Amino acid sequence: MARVRNWQIGREMSYWYPESRPKKQFAAVFDINKCIACQTCTLACKTTWTSGKGQEYMLWNNVESKPYGFYPLAWDVRLLEALGRQTWEGRTYAGRTIFEAAPAGERALGWRPDDLDYASPNVGEDDCAGMIENGADLSVPHAAWFYYLARICNHCTYPACLASCPRGSIYKRPEDGIVLVDQSRCRGYRECVKACPYKKVFYNPMTGTSEKCIACFPKIETGEQPQCFVSCIGKIRMAGWISAPEAAREENPIDYLVHMRRIALPLFPQLGLESNVYYIPPVHVPLPFLEQMFGPGAGAAVETYRAAASDSDLAGLLCLFGSSPRVMPRWKRSGSFVLGLDEDGREIVRVPLREPVHVRAAFDAARGVARTNVP
Amino acid sequence: MRKILKYGAAVALPGLLLFSCGERDAAPTSEVVAARVSHVTEDPTDAAWKNVPAFRADLILQDLVEPRLLVPSTASVEVRAMTDGSWIAFRLAWSDSTADDLPGSARFSDACAVQFPAATGPDLPAPQMGEADRAVEIAYWRASWQASVNGRPDEIRSLYPNAHPDHYPFEATSLAPGSEVAREAELRYAPARALENPMEGPRERAVEDLVADGPGTLRSAAEKRATGSGVRTEIGWAVVIARPAPAGFADRGRGTIAFAVWDGARDETGSRKMRTGWVSLVLRETP
Repeated sequence: MARVRNWQIGREMSYWYPESRPKKQFAAVFDINKCIACQTCTLACKTTWTSGKGQEYMLWNNVESKPYGFYPLAWDVRLLEALGRQTWEGRTYAGRTIFEAAPAGERALGWRPDDLDYASPNVGEDDCAGMIENGADLSVPHAAWFYYLARICNHCTYPACLASCPRGSIYKRPEDGIVLVDQSRCRGYRECVKACPYKKVFYNPMTGTSEKCIACFPKIETGEQPQCFVSCIGKIRMAGWISAPEAAREENPIDYLVHMRRIALPLFPQLGLESNVYYIPPVHVPLPFLEQMFGPGAGAAVETYRAAASDSDLAGLLCLFGSSPRVMPRWKRSGSFVLGLDEDGREIVRVPLREPVHVRAAFDAARGVARTNVP
Repeated sequence: MRKILKYGAAVALPGLLLFSCGERDAAPTSEVVAARVSHVTEDPTDAAWKNVPAFRADLILQDLVEPRLLVPSTASVEVRAMTDGSWIAFRLAWSDSTADDLPGSARFSDACAVQFPAATGPDLPAPQMGEADRAVEIAYWRASWQASVNGRPDEIRSLYPNAHPDHYPFEATSLAPGSEVAREAELRYAPARALENPMEGPRERAVEDLVADGPGTLRSAAEKRATGSGVRTEIGWAVVIARPAPAGFADRGRGTIAFAVWDGARDETGSRKMRTGWVSLVLRETP
C-alpha cells in the first residue's frame, strides 16, 4: 500500500498504487434538485452501449430513488454497514476508507452482488404513497421525503476497481482520467465488481468479462459531452474537467462549483476513492442523511444553493447546464448572459440568466384563430 | 464437509477398482508418474487410465498474493499421467459436490490447471505463476467452457432459462439474420468478443494455453496446443488436459509440474484457488 493524498477526506490515505494524477481529469456535476427520474439518460446509455446479450440488466447509468431505491439492491447500505460507524472531524475524515478497512487477503472492503440484486431496478422504490385519496401507503419512522439519484461511474482518482484487479486489466487514462476495463485483457474474475463501492462495474456472463461506463470517451475525445449528459431533459448535468484544489481556476465551471463555491459534493467521500461525479445535494432532505452521502459540506452546499437566485454568477453558471452538447471547459458571465467557452476562450454558447417572457393574447386577431398552448 | 476420497494404487492393481472404489487407502506415488503409452487419450472415461498409476496431490491455499484464498476448500487432486513421447496427458480427478458451469454475476465456474516451467533446468521458477524471466506454461480447463463445447447454446436462456429479452438491436427485422451487418452490430455490444477475448461463449476447446511470468501476468500463449475434456463423476470432476510434452521430457525422463483447482461454489477464481507447489514428474516405460 502507498500513501496518497485525497483532498475529499482532507488527509493522506492508503491506496494500492502510488498517487498518479492524470493530465486532465474528467468530472461532472449533477444537480439533484432538477432530476425528475425520467430515465432518458438511462435509456440513452443503454441504447448506445449495453443493448447486447448478457447486458440485459446492465445499467452503466441508472437513476434510483433515495432513500429506498438501489441499483443493485442495497449497494450503498450494505457497504456502509460493513464499514461500520465512522466519523469526520470537521472536513477531515477520521474513519477508515474501504482501502484501510480491507480484510485480510483483500485489496479493499467490498461485496459482490448476486444476479437477483440487479434484477429489479426501480421496482417499488417510490411506492411511498398509493392513490392520493388513500393517503400514505408506507409508514416509515421519519418524515416522508425522497429524491432521485442519477449515477454513472465516478471515474475515481483512486478507483477501487483498478486497485482490486490482480491482472492490471483496468486502467486510468493519463490524458483524461477516464477509467476503463481492457476488454482484451479482462478474465472476468470480478474482483472489480466486488471492490467498486458504487457497483458500477458489471459482469457480462455472455462475454465472461466485466464491463463499465466509459464516459463515452469517443465523444469526450472530440469535445462532446457523453450521451447521458446531452439527453438529459432536466438539464441537470455538466461534464468538464476538475483540477486539484490547489490548482483550481475560477473560469473552470467544475472547479468553480466544486472548489470555489463548494456547492457540488462527491458521493460517499468517506469511502476514499476521490470520486469525480459531484452532486448538488437536494435541499429538502434531512442533513444527517445528506452528510452521510455527501460528506460534511452538505449543509453549506444546501445553503449556497438556496441563495443562488440572488447570486448572478452561480445562478448563471447553473443556467449553462444542458445548454450545449459540447464540453465547456471555461465560462464567464457577461451582464445578464452567461457564456460557455472553449479552451481558447471562444464562445460555444450564450445563455440568458432569465429567459425573456412573452405574453401573447389568447386570440390571434390577425389570423382570426385562437392560440393553443404550443411553442 | 466434503468427503475426500482416496483411490487405490494403480500400479499395484492395474485395471481394478480405480474408477468405482474410493474408500480404499493406498500407498500413493510420491511423484507424478507418466506412463509410456502408444497414444494418449483425451477422454477421462477411457479405460486406459485404469492402467496408469495415481498420485495424490495435496492442495494448499493460494495465500501469498492478494486477492488471497484464506479458507481451504478442495483438499487434494488425484493425478494420472500418460505420454506417447511427444504428447502428455493428465487426468485430474477431485471431489466437488456441485457442478458449477454456469456463468453469472456471482456464479463462478469450476476449473483446474496444470503448470510447467517454460524452460527446462534445475533453477525452477516460483510455482506461483512463475517470475520475471522465468516463465511458466499453463493449460487451464474450465467447466463452463466444457459445457459450451458439449453444445450448450450461446443464448442468454442457457444461463437464465426464464429470461425474456424483448429486443436486441442486431436482431431487428431490417437486418437479415446471420448477415455480416447483423454480426457486426452484435459485436458492437460485445467488445471482448470483438477483441477475440471470449472468456465465455462458443468454444471449440475447453482448455486454454497460457503463459505467465509472475502473478498478474497471465496471458494467452502464442500457440493453441492444449486440449482435453472433463466429465462429472460420482464425486466430482474428472478432467483430462493434454498438451505437447515439455521439451526434453522424453529424453531426460524427468520434469516438474504443478496443479491448481478452483471450486466455483466457493467463489474461487483467478488467484483465489487451491494449488500445489512444484511436483516431480517422471517417465515410466511400460514393460
